[in-house]
Amino acid sequence: MNDTGQLADGIRTVLRDHARLAIDPHSLDEQTDLYQAGLTSHASVNLMLALEDRFEIEFPERMLRRGAFSSIGAIRSAIEELTRVDA
Amino acid sequence: MTCRFRPESQGHEPSQDITSMPTPTISPTPLRVGIDLIALRDVAASLGRFGVQYEERVFTAREIAYCRSSPGTVAVGRFAARFAAKEAAIKVLCPDQPGLDWRSIEVTREPDGSASLELHDDARALAARRGLSRFAISLSHDDEYATAIVVAQP
Repeated sequence: MNDTGQLADGIRTVLRDHARLAIDPHSLDEQTDLYQAGLTSHASVNLMLALEDRFEIEFPERMLRRGAFSSIGAIRSAIEELTRVDA
Repeated sequence: MTCRFRPESQGHEPSQDITSMPTPTISPTPLRVGIDLIALRDVAASLGRFGVQYEERVFTAREIAYCRSSPGTVAVGRFAARFAAKEAAIKVLCPDQPGLDWRSIEVTREPDGSASLELHDDARALAARRGLSRFAISLSHDDEYATAIVVAQP
């Protein structure tokens, strides 16, 4: 599994533990709308905090405003942006 | 959450007077209402798992101080009611996409003990864009659930 795949897998694990979705996050593709999949507003807070713990990041408000938790792909992009080390 | 905001121009128009009786005036005012319900056990779990991190990402300093002024389940009920209020307000404000800062929607206490809604930053700007300036709020909770309703009008 490449880095992108490992990151998405880690996100799915956090989703499984904190998002309380009706379906197994490992069966979701990257573009599935998590809110349509049952992510509630309150669970999205838990998800945000759990992702911050897991990946040792802090989501800035600008990311929250643009819907950083709307899909696994959106979460992955946000984490990649926050953890990117510029050469 | 998805919602549909109907601007005033698309509201109900007064009906035509087709009888000799006076026609009641139907205001086109786009009265908005939002409601939310949350289980206290969910909020208690978040407080237990994430603690201050959870409190400070969701609630303002004034809200935290008020909720924490009582111990145990009373504090959990207060946090839960305020979370429900923020969600109810979001349903009223109808953001274009998820992601409004929770702390931009604040529940405050009036001297008579009633609750009020104060909007800041993004929420305030969104309310202005929606043409909403007057808000009323009511909160309630028991040992299991908390609920809030928000009503808004221009």
